[in-house]
Amino acid sequence: MKFEEIELSGFGKYPKAKCKVTRPPGIFDINEVLKNNSVIPRGLGRSYGDASLNDKGVVSESLLMNRFISFDEETGILRCEAGVTYKDLLDTFVIRGWFPAVTPGTKYVTMGGAIASDVHGKNHHNVGSFSSYVISFKILLASGEILDCSRTEHSDLFWATVGGMGLTGFILEAEIQMKKITSPYLTNRSIKLKNMDELFDKLEEFDKDYHYSVAWMDIVASGSKYGRNVLLLGNHEEGSGLPDKLKLRSAKKYIEKKISVPFEVPFTTLNKVSITLFNSAFYMAAKNKIEFVHYDKYFYPLDFILNWNHIYSKSGLIQYQLNVPEDKGKEAIDKVLKKVVAFGGGSFLAVLKKMGDQDGILSFPFKGYTLSMDFPVKKGVIAMCKELDQIVLEYGGRNYLTKDSIMDEKTFKQMYSGLWEKWMDTKIKYDPENKFTSNLARRLGLCPS
Amino acid sequence: MSLLVLGANSLIAQAAASHFAEAGHEIIFGGRKQDEPEKYANDFSIRYKTKCRAEYIDALDYPSHKKFIEDVLAKTPDLEYVLIVFGYLGTQEKAQSDFTEAHRIIDTNFTGVVSVCELLAAEFESVKKGNIAVISSVAGDRGRQSNYMYGSAKGGLTVYLSGLRNRLFKSGVNVLTIKPGFVNTPMTYGMPLPKPLVASPEKVGKDIYKAMLKRKGVIYTPFFWRWIMLIITSIPEFMFKKLKL
Repeated sequence: MKFEEIELSGFGKYPKAKCKVTRPPGIFDINEVLKNNSVIPRGLGRSYGDASLNDKGVVSESLLMNRFISFDEETGILRCEAGVTYKDLLDTFVIRGWFPAVTPGTKYVTMGGAIASDVHGKNHHNVGSFSSYVISFKILLASGEILDCSRTEHSDLFWATVGGMGLTGFILEAEIQMKKITSPYLTNRSIKLKNMDELFDKLEEFDKDYHYSVAWMDIVASGSKYGRNVLLLGNHEEGSGLPDKLKLRSAKKYIEKKISVPFEVPFTTLNKVSITLFNSAFYMAAKNKIEFVHYDKYFYPLDFILNWNHIYSKSGLIQYQLNVPEDKGKEAIDKVLKKVVAFGGGSFLAVLKKMGDQDGILSFPFKGYTLSMDFPVKKGVIAMCKELDQIVLEYGGRNYLTKDSIMDEKTFKQMYSGLWEKWMDTKIKYDPENKFTSNLARRLGLCPS
Repeated sequence: MSLLVLGANSLIAQAAASHFAEAGHEIIFGGRKQDEPEKYANDFSIRYKTKCRAEYIDALDYPSHKKFIEDVLAKTPDLEYVLIVFGYLGTQEKAQSDFTEAHRIIDTNFTGVVSVCELLAAEFESVKKGNIAVISSVAGDRGRQSNYMYGSAKGGLTVYLSGLRNRLFKSGVNVLTIKPGFVNTPMTYGMPLPKPLVASPEKVGKDIYKAMLKRKGVIYTPFFWRWIMLIITSIPEFMFKKLKL
């Protein structure tokens, strides 16, 4: 086995840890590593914090195991290895009329990662998280045994693995249900709203009419502009309404042009002035309109700038994503937002969205509202996030482990009370020696340190 | 027209083959049984909706090569492109003290390739068409103490391919010698290489595809390795022998 010793981090570039990394070509090699080491599987490293770091063992990448196994053109059921990415799916199947039924905001995520984080998309309020479309998966256990898991087979392991942060075993293959589409375009409706009251009313009103919905909030503006936002509602375009020009384009494979932030900027370009400008500019530029948007722009606006995380300089960023219950959700979000505005805002806009029911045991989403923000790592940010934790707790909410890098064990166990205990029972059943562990797992007390 | 890939689990080969597949060519993935070439054939047939299949071949099992090539040609009479990528880097230090390692390096990189190439050459020469591309290495341009076992096997291969190209030219058969520099593959994984010089398998694969279509003789990929190697081969031997390379 070959190893690489590198300073590793998640996409947020905070925290960093010296890790031994390996890229096994197959099951035999993963078993070799497991013999003498603890392991955390890693895909493209798009979780923000320390979920895919393991400085007390090995980080084992799934990237060489990225082959399609079968695809049924009639039913849209795909079987593939865990290292297959959303980009692979989109590049291959959009042109044939199939789309991932649930997609996160970046296509640089592997299927293994999508399962382990039980990722959600703009349609969570209607269809739930990624696991809703995972029919089954194959997982390699610490013992070397390989199990098929589904809702009917080893279902306890199935529900502990979706959202289980890679801590139950190494996901090898997945069987996924894709969604039928007739065009790569979406109809997007933008509605400019003055405050949160308007937003929550509109969310109720359009809940069922639109498959996708998300609001971008200005998290800098205060006073009369406080809480202003743009609600974006979308449906897959059926094709009939598309202008001929777009119809023609949609028949061809979409060629992407990308720009890149080639290096980390030496100091943070994000200061009070630039983030205020950014937040205001977005709101000013927004118009009430209905337009056709290509899926690439609609779902993955930030993928257009590869390594956009580099604008955060070396110290990195913290993504903070919370979910609060529907009841008193508006009140909780308002409290959080007030604190953030008083702090001086984050960087990019905050994203607010309505969520549907919970899936996996440790899956982040549950019925209510989610708000996600990012902050450059600098003085006061961590303390402020800890204060936000208290608000989230007070309202019976929780944070997203895939984004988290700062919660302590106590806070986590309060937020996931009743759930982590249940998850632990299954973890111990299938991995009694805690062979699968990560920096996140040790920080949150999911594995012994 | 079909493409035969020998060394199916190579990321460079897959990247090059993806361009052939996208253009609608049939792909035959040849590889050792344990490398599961059928997985790649399966993946390609889904990804590119092109005809694909796997065949088993071991570079070191020379007597089996004849039947292998005959079988491939029987099933694929329109075989036009062949990309040979199998190779073995091995460990220089081990090869110095353990001849089995040296033997394996030389056999996989040189003898195995020659065995297959001669069989293909005979066939292509008789039908007066064909396009053979083989991965050699910049390491074959000059021997260095850190990897002269691998380097000499690749150097021998480069000379062999030069001769083969010369022989097959009049029959309308092209022979391409590919000399990649550092590429981000399992072969180089974990090595302390200068990052700006490490190319992606996708980049190298695309270079190979283009060079095969243009029927080139020798390519360095990425291109700047031609200049790096020009400098390295120009250093006088009395100086070179004192360097720690």
